[in-house]
Amino acid sequence: MRSSQEIREELRTWILAKAKRLEPETLTGTTALFEERHLRSVHLPELLLLIERLTGAPVDVENLQAGDFRDLDTIMLRFCGEGRPR
Amino acid sequence: MTPADLGALQRAGLTWFPSGQVALRGPLLRLAEACDGAFARLAAAFDADEERHPASLPADRLLRADYLRSFPHQATFPMRMVPEEANIEAFLDGRVLDGDGHVALAELSPVSDLLTPAACYHLFSAHEGEDLVGPLHLTTRNTCFRQEAEYVPLRRLWSFSMREIVCVGSKAEVEGFRQRVRACVDAFLQLIDLPIEWLTATDPFFQPQRNPKHLLQRLQPVKKEATYGGDLAIGSMNSHYDHFGVNFQISRDGEPAHSCCAAFGIERWLFAITDRFGTDPARWPALEDAAVQAAAMTMGARV
Repeated sequence: MRSSQEIREELRTWILAKAKRLEPETLTGTTALFEERHLRSVHLPELLLLIERLTGAPVDVENLQAGDFRDLDTIMLRFCGEGRPR
Repeated sequence: MTPADLGALQRAGLTWFPSGQVALRGPLLRLAEACDGAFARLAAAFDADEERHPASLPADRLLRADYLRSFPHQATFPMRMVPEEANIEAFLDGRVLDGDGHVALAELSPVSDLLTPAACYHLFSAHEGEDLVGPLHLTTRNTCFRQEAEYVPLRRLWSFSMREIVCVGSKAEVEGFRQRVRACVDAFLQLIDLPIEWLTATDPFFQPQRNPKHLLQRLQPVKKEATYGGDLAIGSMNSHYDHFGVNFQISRDGEPAHSCCAAFGIERWLFAITDRFGTDPARWPALEDAAVQAAAMTMGARV
């Protein structure tokens, strides 16, 4: 089972692979991934599958709420049981 | 809608066609024009340039906006018979119209246009490739066509009139517009005493559960509807982000432009106003005066 740090790193790597204009040093935990158009709707299905694979738990699409995928910190908090880093 | 309600609307100038269309005359036509006049006054507060566009637009334009893949179930297509004499003669030699009212068409020309599904698509198409030096404010009105599962007089129509006010510009310019136009509309609604709720909504995607655009709209809401009576959207505010800027190569400051529109379905306003104030024109609010006042209150406007 992956640690939350490992999950965060894998998500970061995936985001940077998709977000062509996003540099590693500018991707923080609070970078607005969709609002700032780094990711687009076409990326969502793959992101859902990735989260399910990394966490080993299904994502209940029907219960997703506005803002659940806003940024990396929110994704970790919502799906990976991680608190916001201080 | 009860038969009594429909009867009152008919006496005020409504003719209802079960195909999902209406004809207007008399008081209701004047009310429709007053509604559009009021929205045009709101648009003038933003110095929005008026544009007029045709009834249809090329399908490749709408494919670029992803309309055809997202809303194919609502699309309506203008068709023509192949304009060769022999083909037209074949049509005339046939039944022309069958007993069910269906036209017995001869060979059809290829279909390459759609009847306008939303007024603002024309604007993005018309401004394709522009490199903006400032925010672009536009307004337009068109007859729009959307196939629906059922039709209800003034509430859900196959063809209806839509007035839109659009801003294309930088992210900050568009967000500023969104806030100001929302304030303007709120002030207008308050002045005419028409109660609404702004509700978060998603667009009516085909098979939404299979469309990631629908999921993204749930996760990152882009649409607020001015909802009358709990279930009738009489207007909407739509944030497009850079969707049209990217797909129509409209740029601002070297980046794909952002855009936002305020849309008003005029026939639905007729329903809301007659539902609230009745069908006696003497009881209807002075819409254009209220729009001027609302713009002045919120914009210090030049109208």
